[in-house]
Amino acid sequence: MLFLVVVNWLQVLFNSAVTGSLYLLAAVGLTLTYGLTRFPNFAHAEFMALGAYAGYTIAEQLKLGFPYSFIAAFISSAALGAASYLLVFRPLTHRGATIIHLMVASIGLDFFVRHLIKQVWGGEQLSFRMVWPYFDVGPVRITGLWVALILSAIVMVGVMHIVLTRTRLGKAIRASANNPDLAMASGVDVEKIALVVWIVGAALAGVGGLFRAADTRLVPLIGWEILLPAFAVVILGGIGSFYGALIAAYVIGLAENFGVVFLVMFKLSTDYKFAIAFLILILTLILKPSGFGRLFGEGGKVV
Amino acid sequence: MREVRLSEPLIYVLDMAVFVGIFAILAVSLNLEYGFTGLANFGKVAFFMVGAYTSSILANMGFPYLACITVATFAAGFVGFVASLPALKLQADYLAIVTLAFGEILRFIFKNEEWIAGGVQGITVPSAITITGVPIQTMMLIQLTIVYAALAICYFIAQRVVNSPYGRTIRAIREDELAAQVLGKDVFKYKAQMFTLGSAMAGVSGSLFSQYVRFIDPYTFEPILTFTVWMMVILGGPANNLGVILGAVFVQALERGARIAKDYLLLPVDPHNLRVMIIGILIILILMYRPQGLFRESKVKTPALEVASKWKKRS
Repeated sequence: MLFLVVVNWLQVLFNSAVTGSLYLLAAVGLTLTYGLTRFPNFAHAEFMALGAYAGYTIAEQLKLGFPYSFIAAFISSAALGAASYLLVFRPLTHRGATIIHLMVASIGLDFFVRHLIKQVWGGEQLSFRMVWPYFDVGPVRITGLWVALILSAIVMVGVMHIVLTRTRLGKAIRASANNPDLAMASGVDVEKIALVVWIVGAALAGVGGLFRAADTRLVPLIGWEILLPAFAVVILGGIGSFYGALIAAYVIGLAENFGVVFLVMFKLSTDYKFAIAFLILILTLILKPSGFGRLFGEGGKVV
Repeated sequence: MREVRLSEPLIYVLDMAVFVGIFAILAVSLNLEYGFTGLANFGKVAFFMVGAYTSSILANMGFPYLACITVATFAAGFVGFVASLPALKLQADYLAIVTLAFGEILRFIFKNEEWIAGGVQGITVPSAITITGVPIQTMMLIQLTIVYAALAICYFIAQRVVNSPYGRTIRAIREDELAAQVLGKDVFKYKAQMFTLGSAMAGVSGSLFSQYVRFIDPYTFEPILTFTVWMMVILGGPANNLGVILGAVFVQALERGARIAKDYLLLPVDPHNLRVMIIGILIILILMYRPQGLFRESKVKTPALEVASKWKKRS
């Protein structure tokens, strides 16, 4: 049965851009580490969570303001990313762990970090009390936080694009993701490149987590909740493909926001928006496992 | 869930034994999928959940125990079969993501659709066995017997499956899928069969679980449950059915240890957090220092092998 709801479609469109930017920040590190180290890192969820909690401490407990909490989220998640790679995943790879071993280890790490966070900050729901200025552009309500989120995503895309295309580091990253053996033979220190990517990816995820927490609320599961859509972005975009993820993030942002409108129309729980990301993920895997990756001549392995 | 205290040692031991049995069935089923066939099922809990909910709904309708457990087994097996069709064409990493997400989506459905089984409120499960006037110890002994009978059947089936030419084929698929394909094995068929069998066993376990704890809600079926079972398999030794059962004993003992610590020690750490943190760290340490588990992979024991080894001794 269809229920008529008055829908502000322009607002839904703008919200899609907000959601897409969030998923992009969350998924960039995931797709790049997946491409470089060849396994999906489930502990990526906790990179987002730690960033959010570190940002909360700076902004709400120390009252230092949002810019500082942004930096705190960036640095703390970067440190966790570095530690994860150096202490867990690199030693495991050296010992010849299989993909399944690495995945299970990443889940183990995820549980460890999440419950460590729970231990330090408590399991209760926390929320940012900061008030963001808002303004209306036509029928669309825009808050300062959303603007900051979209701007962060744009700046990140710009910087990443320049790094990937114009610098030696970017060249080395693309080479290592494409063919690690060949890159190594050409004198690229693949492990160092991987470390850099893990750090940057985790830091961006931390920033994404902070935005999510400031926009909604803060619970230990915050990263885990974004992990499924983030994986959908990674798969749809093609594993290891930065530009694929860029498109996929906004596609999934759109699908989710418009999907929620239909869920409301059909009087279904909005919890099912996760099912939308899942559906896209499954369809991609069945129909075109390389996702958008092939469009850019990178990423996307063949099943 | 009932909180069983150490103050009644007999009940405590029985309670632990029942849980070991329920989880050992899950471990054996995951061992069939991961240990022998190399399938990364990160959504084990989904099929356990299907078994538990099916059984509980039937028990509420007044069906006898045997009907509940049988239907639960088939329901979980069927869901496993359907889920396996799109999932098994995928590589290990994709399969892991898809099965993990599948479990979470299923949990969301049970959480949001109150008409199925009470949604967030959960569902109480009436006992399908009614014997009045017996002490709780006797009831627990009956439960224990049923659980271990089920475990014995599952173990027997698993042993029969893996100690056969069929078992050799699935191990070959695990080691090198392409090679198995080249030798004319229908890899997809074997994987789907193992996934269905594993899911059905998880359904048995879910049914027993719901009958034992007598109350289930969506929060019972979080992903941590799947990885507790993974830890049992990895710790016990993948591709060794007896090993993973011992893994189940060890992991249960560890979980109980954390709960006892809560009662008797004043730790500055929340015992639940501590328990999960220990599990997380242990998984990583085992994978790093003893990825083959405590027990080595068991040999394929077929009649042909026995004849061959006798013949070898004679010569």
